[in-house]
Amino acid sequence: MTDFLQVLFVGIGDGAIYAMLGLGLVVIYRSTGLLNFAQGEMAMFSTFIVWTVWDLGVPLPLAVIAGMVGGFGVGALAHQIAVRPVGDPHEKPLAVVMVTIGLFVGLNSAAQLVWGTLDRDLPPLFGSGGIEVAGVAIAWQKIGAVIVLAVLALGFYLLFQRTGLGLAMRAVASNSESASLVGVPVPKLLMLGWGLAAAVGTVAGVFTAPGRGLGSNMMQLTLIFGFAAITLGGFDSLLGAVVGGFVVGIASSVVPQYVPGFEKMPLAPAFILILAVLLFRPEGLFGRKQVQRV
Amino acid sequence: MSDATALGDGPTAKVAPSPARRVPVGRVVVSVVVAAVLVALPFMFPAFRVEQFVGWMALAIAACGLNLLTGYNGQISVGHGALYGTGAYATALLITDLGWPVWPSVAAAGVICFVVGVAIGLPALRIKGLYLALVTLAVATLFPLIIEQFSSITGGGSGLSITTPQETPRGVIERPIRLESPGGSLAPDQWKYFVFLVLTVVVFVVMRNIVRSRTGRSLVAVRDNETAAEVSGVHVARVKILTFGVSSAMAGIGGAVFALNNGRINPSSFTIVVSIYFLIAVVVGGAASVIGPAIGAVAYGLFIDVLSPELPERFKPATPVILGVLLILLMLFAPGGIVGMWRTSAAKRAAKRARAATAAAASGDTV
Amino acid sequence: MMRHRTRRVGLATTAALLAVVTLAATACGGRDDDSGSGSTTTAKEGGSSSAAFIDPSVDCTDYQGTEGINGDTIKIGTVRPASGTYAIYDQVTTGLNAWVTYVNQSGGLKAKDGKSYKLELIKEDDAYDPAKTPALVKKLVEQDKVFALVGDIGTEPNLSVRDYLNEKCVPNIALATGSTQWGNNKQYPWYIAGLPSYATEAHAWIEYLKESNPKAKIALLYQDDDFGQAYEKAIKKAIKGTDITIVAEQGFNPLGGTTPEAAVTKLSQSDADTFIVGLGGTPCPTSLKLKPDTWNPATIVSVTCAGKTALSLAGGKDQGVIAAQATYDPSDPADAQVPAVQQFRKDATAAGLTEQQIDGGITGPGWGFGSLFGLGIENAETLDRAGVMNALWSLDTDSFGLVRDGVTVITDGTEDPWAIEGFRIVQREGDGWKELSPITNWEGKSNSFAG
Repeated sequence: MTDFLQVLFVGIGDGAIYAMLGLGLVVIYRSTGLLNFAQGEMAMFSTFIVWTVWDLGVPLPLAVIAGMVGGFGVGALAHQIAVRPVGDPHEKPLAVVMVTIGLFVGLNSAAQLVWGTLDRDLPPLFGSGGIEVAGVAIAWQKIGAVIVLAVLALGFYLLFQRTGLGLAMRAVASNSESASLVGVPVPKLLMLGWGLAAAVGTVAGVFTAPGRGLGSNMMQLTLIFGFAAITLGGFDSLLGAVVGGFVVGIASSVVPQYVPGFEKMPLAPAFILILAVLLFRPEGLFGRKQVQRV
Repeated sequence: MSDATALGDGPTAKVAPSPARRVPVGRVVVSVVVAAVLVALPFMFPAFRVEQFVGWMALAIAACGLNLLTGYNGQISVGHGALYGTGAYATALLITDLGWPVWPSVAAAGVICFVVGVAIGLPALRIKGLYLALVTLAVATLFPLIIEQFSSITGGGSGLSITTPQETPRGVIERPIRLESPGGSLAPDQWKYFVFLVLTVVVFVVMRNIVRSRTGRSLVAVRDNETAAEVSGVHVARVKILTFGVSSAMAGIGGAVFALNNGRINPSSFTIVVSIYFLIAVVVGGAASVIGPAIGAVAYGLFIDVLSPELPERFKPATPVILGVLLILLMLFAPGGIVGMWRTSAAKRAAKRARAATAAAASGDTV
Repeated sequence: MMRHRTRRVGLATTAALLAVVTLAATACGGRDDDSGSGSTTTAKEGGSSSAAFIDPSVDCTDYQGTEGINGDTIKIGTVRPASGTYAIYDQVTTGLNAWVTYVNQSGGLKAKDGKSYKLELIKEDDAYDPAKTPALVKKLVEQDKVFALVGDIGTEPNLSVRDYLNEKCVPNIALATGSTQWGNNKQYPWYIAGLPSYATEAHAWIEYLKESNPKAKIALLYQDDDFGQAYEKAIKKAIKGTDITIVAEQGFNPLGGTTPEAAVTKLSQSDADTFIVGLGGTPCPTSLKLKPDTWNPATIVSVTCAGKTALSLAGGKDQGVIAAQATYDPSDPADAQVPAVQQFRKDATAAGLTEQQIDGGITGPGWGFGSLFGLGIENAETLDRAGVMNALWSLDTDSFGLVRDGVTVITDGTEDPWAIEGFRIVQREGDGWKELSPITNWEGKSNSFAG
């Protein structure tokens, strides 16, 4: 039982990271109707910024904030120079998806060019210690990840539901043409959405790096789990990203350890779950139904 | 004019119909020149280059399959790498473990992938758009893991050689398969090149016939508006599943070519990255154009195999950066890909001609 | 409608044309330089120890023994990942390249014909993708006409061209991998590994455990591929008949997408007192970091993990880690005093390596791979491909590259295909290593350790 709980906490820690990545993906999907394949690489890039600042001697929490600002810049810039000029994702989904794939490929090796191919060691934000509850050791880092995730999710919820800015962003997402007609500065808001998504990605990267080593490839497979999280939860639901993240994190840690036949396929249980959910609710657990116009 | 709004594609060329019975001289000349170049290539380049060309063919065939699904039918798949891998492993296992001859194995790879594709296509009836894209992404990510999970059959992470018993100076041993021309008149690489070139051409001709058929038009109708297609009598479910199946079979045949070209396969050759290559080949060439994926595959091959090795040592790690930037630029300035660019300029020329012959332009354009 | 039909004719014509010309081309015959595979000679009886191991007149159908030697320059090639996920291994090639620079700066390699030969190294980038390797190796062999390949990186990339190189009779020297498959030199005499067999390393661990903890209970974490399975199988073979047991084991799949944390955590719940980490790359040091503090077994790591670069990623949890060591570690303060290491540092610096590169532990092996090739050139009775391989298949020397003093370098084509078979057991202490047990050489036994 102890060992099961112990592995369960590994899943919760991973799940919090997948949920953070999922939040970024949801924010971009909400504002642009687009799946951002470059989300993980933007996170990796800005985590390197965190490392660089930290390496200069700045305390890690401050370095994380600096990295989030840098990440915001990377995201906003990517949107302004690469994504926006291609056009409306609703009209040209393939072209826009390919641009994010281009960003994915480019950012990955750009990071190699800037920071080299050696992996770096970024210490855990909440230190390497932990507490012990009934024989189960829980690292502060995992508790911290869950708390940070809660703060981020709540923050985004308040932003979208309780502020004028959030209202405007929702208006852009549901109908950018009408929003633009009533005077909402659509391009600026889209840029803001990308920047915010990249900033939250930075946090996901900061929690990923200690477990994987900070390297240009650390987010490639992590992002797949983030995608799995939002597919399960629904592309446009913040709550869905959080729930989906934890479900995917726990399933991919616990099942390969305890269910024979899954040892080498950590993603498989999550995938089976996704398929099952989508067959009954094609819009994900918490997603809104898409209405097709004829 | 149903194919005018391809996914992410520019306007389809509306070439003015030629006056009746005029022999399309230009088209014949182009065909002959292209055929001549294709035939001459393996005699002009060293063996390693010729084998790279065969690799481009594998990519072209798989991308052709993806194009049917994504370009014509509008279902984005990020999972064709898994089907490519399935085809490769099916071919390898049939030849090595069951001792099947090459061609039945390739055909079987196509059939197996058709069945797998139909199985993947079933959920696609309910799951749509980006959700479907992500399900296919999961399939692509899962594939190498499945290979590792069943390592007793597939060899797992240690790879799998396609071998047949062969005589060697050190006795009869299992050696990587070799495709040799009858009588040994062509070098193995040249023979391989021609055999697979014919296969590639066959696949593209089949593709062309599908697209131009009634089925092909219903594919596009489903893409453009599913409900409207349903209303006008298209059996949407059957069309979608069949498309998935045929598209997957093509990806599988591409995988078979890949496996036979390399003689050895490994799960790391079928990661999510491969699925991305296919998408790149499709959009670079031009989605929803028959020949687009072939052009895209050649463009991608030229970049990866010919141009990037020429980069100065210092810039080698930057190869993917350049690829990424080129991809973004292409999407910015020519979202229809290379074929799209050509069509746009052809359309301009045609419009000019049409102005000259206004009488003929109004009628007869019933694609 | 008309346009429709003519188009189809166009394509059909193309197809028909292709078919016709293909047939014609088949009849006309191919390129001249193709070797073909027709004439088969009888299999060589491996065993006559007095004769040279490779006899090209028996083993090769089209032997180009001196290709790549032009005047006083020998052209060699190498394939490595300079881009992509494994681009870090490019540093091995940086080390090889520095060795080539050093050789050329110091006047070249002296062959038995009395002449000195300079080297030219051509590098290709396969991004560690075994599907890309064959074309690049064929380019090196057929277009660049290299004499030999040196220090090619990765088990799978090397396997993907093994039959080809063997048939062409082109040496592939000092492979940058220790896969047990390189022990099969009777079938593949043109391949010689530059690293010790992973199985021998695992055997050295178990021999150490037999002395230090004869009832050791092992928790085993291994990479689920050729590399990690070599450890797994050799460990299981070595503990047979002892009181050492494996109480828990986990295969880790680097393509799986998760960190090894769940696996390490599960292992930590066993009653194991020894933790063996048969992982490569970053997952190795991170699994040290992810190990719960409540579990404190003796921890043994793979040699690929026992360098400064890798251990710096362990978040300070590298102290006390045990490894088997066959070469000097320039970053170890104790080894830094050894004359051979001081000489290496001087030569490597002159050849353009930075302090960081020298201490990192990745360039050193590359330098060593070059040195092994150098031994082949200097000891070859006749300076041709078979001569160099035969020299490498009958080595008897003290050291090359950074191989430790006391590790014997002995090979014998028919009996002993491994150049390095000696290890000492060391424990991490500060920035260096403390010796736990002195060097043992398992000359000629490596193949028998493989599971």
